[in-house]
Amino acid sequence: MKAANFEHHEPETIEEAVSLLESLDEPTILAGGQSLIPMLRFRLARPDTVIDLNGLTELEYIREDDGHLKIGALARHVDVEESAIIDRNYGSFADAAPLIADPQIRNQGTVAGSIAQSDPKGDWGTVLLAHDGEVVAQGPDGERTIPAKDFFLLPYDNMLGEDELITEIRVPESGSNEGSAYHKLKRKVGDYAMAGSAARVRLDGGVIEDADVALTAVDITNIAVDEAAEELEGERPSADLFREAGKIAAEQSNPESDEHGSAAYKRNMVRVLTQRALADATERATQDGPAADFGTDQLTPEGMAAEGD
Amino acid sequence: MTKKEISLTINGTEHELEVEPRKLLVHAIREDLDLTGTHIGCDTGNCGACTVYMDGQAVKSCLTFAVQADGSEITTVEGMEDHPDAGMGESDLHPIQEGFREMHGLQCGYCTPGMIMSARALLEENPDPTEEEIRESISGNLCRCTGYQNIVKAIQYAADVMNGREPPESPVEHGEAAEPEAASDGGTPMCEADDCCMDVDTDFEPPGGDHK
Repeated sequence: MKAANFEHHEPETIEEAVSLLESLDEPTILAGGQSLIPMLRFRLARPDTVIDLNGLTELEYIREDDGHLKIGALARHVDVEESAIIDRNYGSFADAAPLIADPQIRNQGTVAGSIAQSDPKGDWGTVLLAHDGEVVAQGPDGERTIPAKDFFLLPYDNMLGEDELITEIRVPESGSNEGSAYHKLKRKVGDYAMAGSAARVRLDGGVIEDADVALTAVDITNIAVDEAAEELEGERPSADLFREAGKIAAEQSNPESDEHGSAAYKRNMVRVLTQRALADATERATQDGPAADFGTDQLTPEGMAAEGD
Repeated sequence: MTKKEISLTINGTEHELEVEPRKLLVHAIREDLDLTGTHIGCDTGNCGACTVYMDGQAVKSCLTFAVQADGSEITTVEGMEDHPDAGMGESDLHPIQEGFREMHGLQCGYCTPGMIMSARALLEENPDPTEEEIRESISGNLCRCTGYQNIVKAIQYAADVMNGREPPESPVEHGEAAEPEAASDGGTPMCEADDCCMDVDTDFEPPGGDHK
């Protein structure tokens, strides 16, 4: 056996899950398990009890309603990859999903689990920040929503209380004059990001009315770069403007040197990836049709090579 | 700690098991059910040797607790010969298995069961994939011997058989492995340039004349 022993609980309702969270001593929540199970196997985590959410099938959804795109806590990465709603109007989600780990892991791992894990190298937190999204949490006192910009505190640490669980991730519905994109640099297929950048722009009469830029793996959490957004808002999209925003994103990032590259290299990559994400986001905002039809193909070497910088 | 009773249908046979919650699915399959075709490689979710086909999807059985698989239907490599598509080719094997044999899709064979289960998940969903789609589908499976070229060809062979096309002849049995193209491993050039990566000039002489 690799993991230390634990009691396994399978609640059938969200209320039951919350009351277990409240009554058990330091339980751990299991959703997709693709990060948690290796942690248990290495005994980096040694919970006495595990609350397995996989029976809560009511949380398996991706839908648009009430002016939001809503992703239930048990939606898997593959569900995002295959969602027609996502493909139509949420380019950065559509970009990020197939770049996460590998097909087997995408079949099991969940978006909400990745947000709850709060790994600074995780992709979904960045996408959520760029869409000015929220985390919906359920606890003993009921439901509350936490803005993504307040959610991430430290590596693997966030605003969730010990007796709270994420039930939903939501972002404001994306209009036809809005586009987003996510660009990720990794050493090889399946790796975590060395650096990643998500950008979203909303256009009004050819001017950027609203924008967000967020980054992966270059600070202690996923971060939003408000200074880049400020540079973009009120301006007409242009290569010069995106270069400037890329520069600002690079300046605001705090990467560390490691075996994959120096801090200076990563900072330069933040600059480049941000420019590319902004270009793709703008193209998607100005075109009608599925996100996949526009923007850069990051899944094939040919697609990446075809794109100049 | 309380053990849990679970039921797994593996390769069409239902098994009732009593397991500790911490038992990984791969350990239940290998140790409790003695189906050792599913391999343990890295044990950390990187290598894909433990891939099984569970409820219509490829999953890593080292990243799943057995209790999570309760009530599921699982195929392991041992079940491929009983798949309805088995025997479509020249042997009783499943076309994917036959492809690995015919196209020399393995050397040590350690990754093969996982590769076959990932290939099955691909072909169930996409019966006639492109090379790019094949490569994407096995991106969660590591092979340290073959360089993947022949694994891709093995899956292409299976797709040929399953789509009623004549598959290529085996380079192993027909002695074509020694041909220069196959020997240079047939890798896809990374760029279109004439004088780059794959196009090696065998008459190359160092500049500066005669080096004596």
